[in-house]
Amino acid sequence: MPFAKKPQVFSAKINELTLGTGDKAATLGGQNVFNLYTFDAPIANRPKIGIDVSDDPEQPSEGLKAFYAGCNTLAERAKKAAELPEADFVCIRFDLADPNGENKSIEDCVADAKAVAEAVDKPVVVAGCKNSEKDADLFGKISEALQGKNILVLSAKEENYKGVAAGAGMAYGQKVGAESAVDINLAKQLNVLITQMGVNGENVAMNVGSAAAGYGFEYVVSTLERVKAAALSQNDSTLQMPIITPVGVETWGVKEATASESDAPEWGAQEERGIDMEVETAAACLAYGSDAVILKHPVSIQTTARLVAALM
Amino acid sequence: MALKGLDIFKLTPKTNCKDCGNPTCMAFAMKVASGALPIEKCPHMSAEALSTLSEATAPPMKSYKVGDLALGGETVLSRHEKTLVSKTLYAVQVCDCMDGAKQDEVLGKIPAVDYERIGERMYVEMVYVRHSSDKAPADFAALVAKAKALGRPLVLSCTDVEAMKAGVEAAAGCDVIVNGATPDNYADMSAVAAGAKALLGVRADSLEALHDVVEKLEAAGNKNLILDVGEASVKDAYANAVQIRRTALKDGDRTFGYPSIVNVANLSGGDAHLEAALLSLFTCKYGSIVVCSEMTYAKALPLYGLRQNIFTDPQKPMKVTPGIYPINGADESSPCCLTVDFALTYFLVSGEIERSKMPVNLLITDASGMSVLTAWAAGKFSSSSIKKFFDEYDINNKIKNRALIIPGKVAVMKGEIQDKLPEWSVIVGTTEAVQLVKYLRDEEWKKNYVEKSAASAAGETAAEPAPAPKKVIPAPPIVVSGPYMIDDKPVTYKGHDPNAQTFVTIGERIHCISPAIRKAMDTYDEAPILKRAAEQIAAGATYLDVNIGPAESNGPELMTWAVQLLQQNFNNVPLALDTANMAAIEAGIKVYNRANGKPIVNSADAGSRIGYIDLAAANDAIVIALCSADGIAKDNEERMMHCHNMLERGLHLGMQADDLWFDPLFLVIKGMQDKQMDVLNAIRAFSEEGLKSTGGLSNNSNGMPKHIRPIMDAAMVGMAMTMGLTSAIVNPCDQRLMETIKSCDIIKNHNLYADSYLEI
Repeated sequence: MPFAKKPQVFSAKINELTLGTGDKAATLGGQNVFNLYTFDAPIANRPKIGIDVSDDPEQPSEGLKAFYAGCNTLAERAKKAAELPEADFVCIRFDLADPNGENKSIEDCVADAKAVAEAVDKPVVVAGCKNSEKDADLFGKISEALQGKNILVLSAKEENYKGVAAGAGMAYGQKVGAESAVDINLAKQLNVLITQMGVNGENVAMNVGSAAAGYGFEYVVSTLERVKAAALSQNDSTLQMPIITPVGVETWGVKEATASESDAPEWGAQEERGIDMEVETAAACLAYGSDAVILKHPVSIQTTARLVAALM
Repeated sequence: MALKGLDIFKLTPKTNCKDCGNPTCMAFAMKVASGALPIEKCPHMSAEALSTLSEATAPPMKSYKVGDLALGGETVLSRHEKTLVSKTLYAVQVCDCMDGAKQDEVLGKIPAVDYERIGERMYVEMVYVRHSSDKAPADFAALVAKAKALGRPLVLSCTDVEAMKAGVEAAAGCDVIVNGATPDNYADMSAVAAGAKALLGVRADSLEALHDVVEKLEAAGNKNLILDVGEASVKDAYANAVQIRRTALKDGDRTFGYPSIVNVANLSGGDAHLEAALLSLFTCKYGSIVVCSEMTYAKALPLYGLRQNIFTDPQKPMKVTPGIYPINGADESSPCCLTVDFALTYFLVSGEIERSKMPVNLLITDASGMSVLTAWAAGKFSSSSIKKFFDEYDINNKIKNRALIIPGKVAVMKGEIQDKLPEWSVIVGTTEAVQLVKYLRDEEWKKNYVEKSAASAAGETAAEPAPAPKKVIPAPPIVVSGPYMIDDKPVTYKGHDPNAQTFVTIGERIHCISPAIRKAMDTYDEAPILKRAAEQIAAGATYLDVNIGPAESNGPELMTWAVQLLQQNFNNVPLALDTANMAAIEAGIKVYNRANGKPIVNSADAGSRIGYIDLAAANDAIVIALCSADGIAKDNEERMMHCHNMLERGLHLGMQADDLWFDPLFLVIKGMQDKQMDVLNAIRAFSEEGLKSTGGLSNNSNGMPKHIRPIMDAAMVGMAMTMGLTSAIVNPCDQRLMETIKSCDIIKNHNLYADSYLEI
């Protein structure tokens, strides 16, 4: 019996979500097949890659220090990051605003965000300080300051979705990220709650959890696969939001990426380890269902962009 | 798809003639499905049935061994559906087009990456030896001979039949894969592979051509194949890898039911980071052997971790090897932290210790991969298991420091551990891993450290927040002072007819995992136990479960006390005795009154707790038989296999089939939603064989909001009773659940309807 191709094309599709404005806008999602399965049907919007820039000037590797050499502010670093041709968007992260750390004021963060928006022409994604209460406030204020820029805030969580959805999502029409930690039931629940608040589901992206390869990544795999399967094969509109996965913040925190060469001489150059940890984790996320990944290292971004281009 | 036992059963004559030596056709079918018996053992199978079977029992994807390495045998596309069985193997490519020095360099670097991660050796499993068409067969043979010296299986990649012959000859004595069949040479190349008793690698320019040549090879009798996805482009290789696997597993076309080879060395164009990305991509989907140009630690560390994650059995916890794990440069003079071997616990605890920057020896004990509290409740993390660990690993001699910090969650074990390890100062640590950083950095544990001299042995412990449990309090006598009252109404147990068909509820609220009950059992405090018993009886429970925990030091005494306390206060209410301490169960049964039914032993399984069936048989008790063996059964095939093994053991020991209550193991919906119908179908299978069943039904709704749980539990019990569930371990105080059970008993015609049926 000759081979008969059986393309797996679904009648459902992932929502299209556009970030930013103008010709540098980036569109995520839209496909009616599993991620990267171009052999089943054409995929209009290739997966996107963001570059992660923190307001904390500390860098996890020499290569990153060199890349940002001469940049003194978040806006300067964001500008430098946005100049990387392979980066589709810039993700600014307010690590210094953490109330348990430097507790940088919201006014200062808003000023930073404005400066970034003026310095870069690519879409801006805003990640908070991980403190749910402060993030809700922070996202609202930045959304107000950056009205019309069509930013995405990362993220609304179980603890603060009301504030984030009301502020960023409804008052200022920005895109809202819904974050859950490898829990498919909570991922769905959050989308339901955010849309019940009045945010259009088409303006929501999901971060369903992330981990570095080797660190419980199997939970990420199954969550990504099951979300995509429910969205496409069960036509579950509460899970058809595109998935955006912050990879760099996870991978640059594990010992394989951070151990110094003197601590682990047999492992070789730290820079290379950090890049491969980031690249391999990103490739796995894209294979299992992420529509966008956020990375730190310019070489990781260039490599992942080559991988995506080769698959499209 | 492989045929299920029930499908085989449908093809049997269903006469239960016993000519095959089995009590029923069902039992026979289950054994055939598990591979324990050949179908021919049944003399009455029809010819059509036999041919249907041989066709249908072939697995969707062939599995092979190359040396010790497994290839293929997958049945699913995603790890959450069922375990992926054969992990991706990695090879490094060396080519006869390289000059000699380069060949030596490539081969010389292969052994460099070799380390262990969570009990698994991580290294380059194979060498991929490539022949270039402009080289002579002798060049290839010379390279093969060099590569052979590494002592690993070789994949010989060469489409020239003569060169392949030379390569195979040079590889004599070494496991090889002959990767070189094409639509042009397949007959000759197949002969070379057959001569070497090797797998034959097949390649073609398109999936259609590949399919065609595989069919021809199969027709010629060669079914030992592996499919090369090709090197035309990343896009084509990926499309081929996915479609080959999907065609075999999802579309049921066995022509593509073979493992795959993906060579990313030639797809990455010399870009080492792109090669890393491709290694990752094809580990995810769906490379059986993935070949690269070089394996460095930079590539390997994330890659092998990823592979270990993906190929973990999603239903079996990841375990860390027990032993001493020195952290932050700890040595024999550093304190010890003790915990279980559940991998997530290990990663959390070791991570927090690392963050504290204090030198600590992390001691990991064998707890069957369970978390701290679960392992404790199951008797897998106990003072005996800890003592055994200390002896086996010679901890007393390996470590001089005598501070032993135990998890705060098992503070109750402190006294027992202290007794068994008198030379150590046992200190109750934090209840959560995150608190460890401060606890260790500020050396808070030193406050409770007690210097032990060689002479001073047990007993003495410092004053600290978690009190050491008494161990020699004798059980007080039982005093029954009139009926127990709730809201001024007496609570009496109304009796139970063991032959009634109505659903049996086993009240689960007397359980040592509840802090109130744990404390009451520690101090023989009657009030909290009687209160929970009365509430459950008032709510209509048939049986009460009594979980006393591992109770290592006083199990028999505690169980005897509990049984008498409950039965004397509540009209001999029947009980399920629930503990990892077998002596305690026996002691409880000795004083048990059978007026309202036999005692239940909770519980046996088909693994390490199989002895509980013997215990029940010896004491004429009912036994709850968990259809699993140390971990959740992967499918109903396995559940039924365990069921029949336990049934046979019980019958052999003289038990009635009715006294084995089979537990399919109810699974959490939040987490294992796609396995719920399996559980229900297992109940139906028990019921079809006339077997009784039970289980911890409310586990299905674990983690759901309080107001949802009764709704979900009620739906579950309704569906399960439709399937034939005869009993469940439940919270009887859940009114909605109990009303549903009573209503279902009416519908099943087990109880005659009256308007007041809910009240009686």
